Amino acid sequence: MIISKSDLLHFFENVKTDFDIFIPYASELDEDNLSYKKFSDNKEFIINKYRTIDPIKTLFYLPIESVLPASAKKMKRIIVGVKNCDLLALEVLDSALLEDNFVEPNYKIWRDNTYIISSDCTDALSSCHCVLLDYPPYPEKSEDGTCIYDLNLSPVNDNFLITIGSKKGDELLELIKKYCSVRDASYEEKNKIEAQHAEIRKKLSDINSDYSPDRKYDVISDNKDEATWKELSAECVECGGCTNICPTCYCIILNDESENGNFKKIRTWDSCQLSGYARVAGGDSPRPKLWERFRHRYQTKFIRINNSFSKLGCTGCGRCISTCPAGIDLREVIQSLQEV
Amino acid sequence: MPKENALDLTNPNPYEVLKADVLDIITESPTIKTFRIKPEKSFEFETGQFVELTVPGIGEAPFTPSSSHYEKEEMDITIMKAGFVTGAVHRLKKGDVLGIRGPYGKGYPLDKFKGKDVLLLGGGVGLAPLRCLLLTLIHDIDDYKSITVCFGARTPEDMIYKDHFDVWRKYDKIHLFRSVDTIPEGQKWDEKVGVVTVLLDDIKINTEDAVAVACGPPVMMKFGTFALVDKGFKDENIYLSMEKKMYCGFGQCRHCVMGKYYACKDGPVFTYDVIKDEEKIWE
Repeated sequence: MIISKSDLLHFFENVKTDFDIFIPYASELDEDNLSYKKFSDNKEFIINKYRTIDPIKTLFYLPIESVLPASAKKMKRIIVGVKNCDLLALEVLDSALLEDNFVEPNYKIWRDNTYIISSDCTDALSSCHCVLLDYPPYPEKSEDGTCIYDLNLSPVNDNFLITIGSKKGDELLELIKKYCSVRDASYEEKNKIEAQHAEIRKKLSDINSDYSPDRKYDVISDNKDEATWKELSAECVECGGCTNICPTCYCIILNDESENGNFKKIRTWDSCQLSGYARVAGGDSPRPKLWERFRHRYQTKFIRINNSFSKLGCTGCGRCISTCPAGIDLREVIQSLQEV
Repeated sequence: MPKENALDLTNPNPYEVLKADVLDIITESPTIKTFRIKPEKSFEFETGQFVELTVPGIGEAPFTPSSSHYEKEEMDITIMKAGFVTGAVHRLKKGDVLGIRGPYGKGYPLDKFKGKDVLLLGGGVGLAPLRCLLLTLIHDIDDYKSITVCFGARTPEDMIYKDHFDVWRKYDKIHLFRSVDTIPEGQKWDEKVGVVTVLLDDIKINTEDAVAVACGPPVMMKFGTFALVDKGFKDENIYLSMEKKMYCGFGQCRHCVMGKYYACKDGPVFTYDVIKDEEKIWE
């Protein structure tokens, strides 16, 4: 289905009181940075381009939330412009937080009440490296036809090609049709999108041409050499930025704010990079040294999450690279380990 | 579209807490107290599982009950003052209110203990979960061949459950051995002196088919396990209660990761063969 950009805007304007709509806008401080903000009529949003600076978890697994009682709102939401690296991250979070034996109360409420309209990347940042993980810079359905997005938008000329990803996507498209007209895509339009896909993949491959696309993650667990890991983590200042900005990191601490017989628990993101993270009463810690915690993060991203959920804990978004004040590049770390 | 706050969850909130009244407080040692609590509803658990206790306004920490799992209305929890939350627990008075949620993790597989010689090796406050196990075993004592208890403490003053040993010694099937590391001036002790593993010299069971359960501080767990292996216990018959930082209890917070396992949901009880090749298990 094809919808024009102006019609889509018209749709958002019409439903903005029924839904909380979040769309990427350019940051006021740096127009190269995109960030999810509430939809507003008089600002130009950016649906395609590349990933936002804030990971998708900021909208589903908030930095601070009350979990007892659950504080998530049941307000219907539409999040527009989610990139494939964030969709893949939601798959990891779904596996971790919507398990058989444990359903995270807020996450479930936010997930259940949100429509996700994803979009293709049309540009890339220097830290973007999804192709190194064999992920495309646009959403793809899995072999059994399932996917995380409800609708996906591929830009073509001044229009978007809409791909339906789920039943919720069907519902949403029906709602869109009430406000605007859609038509079938032409052969030429579909071809053009395919050419765009090839072009953005090429761009990403060029950005990442210094790194071997044949990645062997066993090297992370196999390499127990203290000197190697000390060297790799030498510049780390232990800020925890890489884990906070990572779309798949979900470690938390619980704080208690109970009083007068009413129990109240607040959860806050935590970081395995901080020295107090795994410390137990009495002061013992399994990873007292910085290099051990540094290695732990790589083990978690590439080995542990893969063992638990059969998918990697890194989606190639590159946010940890952009955010690191010490300039540590995850791609270089893995490359060096492979070359040891 | 409806705009409302979430209150009616289809799934029960995993963080839900029960109120529990503190009925009694027993001072076991200068740093250890036992709290008898009564949760607002009967509370079922299996021996070896743990609970999360909330000190309102302070925080939450994991503990293993030390009363039998056949007791469902009231529960004993033995706690050493070691940090922020346990410090606050130690300041509680009779009649104060705690929060409790759980139970979490996998306990001791008692079915695998039946008909066998069972050895309990404990040190310091590690006796707490072992007392729960011991009381549970005593409840069905006919099911087990024998129970050997080896408990150690730093000094006589640090030995907890002082009043209980005489009761336990009355059972023919129970063989009780105790040791202290040192005897400071002014303290009395007429049993063995040395780290708890010295007690293993005295045991007279066929270790090849027996099960051993160990709980204690990390260094005791490490050398205790090595001593059990030396003694002839099979790796798969050595049960270890692992202490890690278990914040949530169900694998969400990830603080208790041990190699490919979570202490909270895959443990806290592991057999040695399962974790022996993981990194950093003793720290």
